Amino acid sequence: MEINRIATADTVFFWEGCSNHQLRFQKCDECGHVRWPASIICPKCHSMKTSYIVSEGEGEIYSFVIYHAVFNSNFKNKVPYVVAVVRLKEGPHLLTNIVDCDFAKLRCGRKVKVVWRKIGEVTVPCFQ
Amino acid sequence: MNYTRIRKLRDKYAIVGVGYTPQGKIPGRTAMSFYAEAGANAIQDAGLKKDAIDALICYRQFPAANDEPEATPYLVAQHLGITPAILSQESYCPRHQFIQAVSLLEAGFCNYVLIIYADNAVSGKRMFINEATHSESPAYNFAYGEFGFVADYAMAARRAMHQFKTGPDTWKEIAVNQRKWANLNQMAAMHNKTLDYDQYMNSPYLAEPFRRLDASLISDGGRACVVTSVERARDLRHPVVAIMGVGEANPSVDIHQSAYMSGPTGAKKASETAFGMADIKLDAIDACEIYDCFTYTVEITMQDYGFFSPGEGNEFFKDGKTAPGGKMPVNTSGGLLSEAYFMGLTPITEGVMQLMGRCGERQLGEKTGTNKPEIILCSDNGGVLQTHSCLILRRL
Repeated sequence: MEINRIATADTVFFWEGCSNHQLRFQKCDECGHVRWPASIICPKCHSMKTSYIVSEGEGEIYSFVIYHAVFNSNFKNKVPYVVAVVRLKEGPHLLTNIVDCDFAKLRCGRKVKVVWRKIGEVTVPCFQ
Repeated sequence: MNYTRIRKLRDKYAIVGVGYTPQGKIPGRTAMSFYAEAGANAIQDAGLKKDAIDALICYRQFPAANDEPEATPYLVAQHLGITPAILSQESYCPRHQFIQAVSLLEAGFCNYVLIIYADNAVSGKRMFINEATHSESPAYNFAYGEFGFVADYAMAARRAMHQFKTGPDTWKEIAVNQRKWANLNQMAAMHNKTLDYDQYMNSPYLAEPFRRLDASLISDGGRACVVTSVERARDLRHPVVAIMGVGEANPSVDIHQSAYMSGPTGAKKASETAFGMADIKLDAIDACEIYDCFTYTVEITMQDYGFFSPGEGNEFFKDGKTAPGGKMPVNTSGGLLSEAYFMGLTPITEGVMQLMGRCGERQLGEKTGTNKPEIILCSDNGGVLQTHSCLILRRL
């Protein structure tokens, strides 16, 4: 599967971090809010003063779905697979996959940790 | 919120005509043809001449299929042969059509507003995948196999299962009750197909926890209506169906980052405005026409409106309480699940037709063992619960 142009001008730092197995987010210097999606301003206080933090990669499943239908032919051999939103300890809600898991044990609130997977040339954060 | 000013708009504007087209699977037709037919039929149904229409508001236009021209609002106006003073078209679903219509009429910029949605989604093989937009780049979502509205709403529904008691046992009641209404509606795609609990439970998962039967239909066709003042409506041909209250709310945050998956969604705030304007309570409502892109959408909307507490949906919907013969009829055309998908115009125009008394076999009242309706509550939402509009209609 080929992934093209996953980074935007706003998320170059995030994907560079991923290639080094670091989950990086922006943190507002004024109010301390850790934000995602990446943005030039803090949605809480509109400050443009920004630092970068590396997440510990720990969080919990906020919600998840199990894809059974094939919506795209690239995923024909992958169903069933799990798409989830993980709430990281630092705050951001990140869309991801839960990998190598027992579907019966999936629960909202379950603790998960980042693992790194390669899709084509791109390193993406998944959770376990 | 202070409702003094908007309360003056209560019962001041009315929906005076509804336009239908052939619907369901109608091969060999462009989206544009459905726009034109629905619009012309709504104007004719209202008993108006086309030149009276001085505002045209189109629902979201999806990218044209089959190399057809894009159904821009300009082209819709051109096909209808009108040159409206006011022209608009929403792009990503914010549901402000009726607030916009009422506001424009009140300000005096126009007198007759035509509102339309149409698509050839079946013939055009629309998958509703590219149409779902997110906070991440398309390639990001593709990398994780995140495709389209079914899974997005299923994500919200799963969180709700975690937060309070809900799931397939509640959603099957919604699907089955609405199908019973569709069985009374000859225009409904599912008119001839009955549905029972076993069929629902045996329906294959698309994106668990959602089964195929939790999801809206995909339809060819269109729907339209005309909004004007109650004063003008009194001179037109149909019983007057007034807009008693209208409200809108836009939580906006992408479902991937939202903290409102399991409510309160925009339905709560939008309904507070609509009920504040109408100056009534929930107990005045005789029936509901709820935007039902998925079964769970009906549950969370009615929960946020205050019909029941979180987790009591099963009790509310079971034993056919929202089906023909039930205490609180919901989605009396079959809705998006069992009639046809025309965004919010499926529920809203059904509310209008019921109050006009034009619904034949499915007519609320004696015929279906339900209360004769005076006030109907309608909803419309868009994106993935990112926008919500609530409309209270009343027969004057």
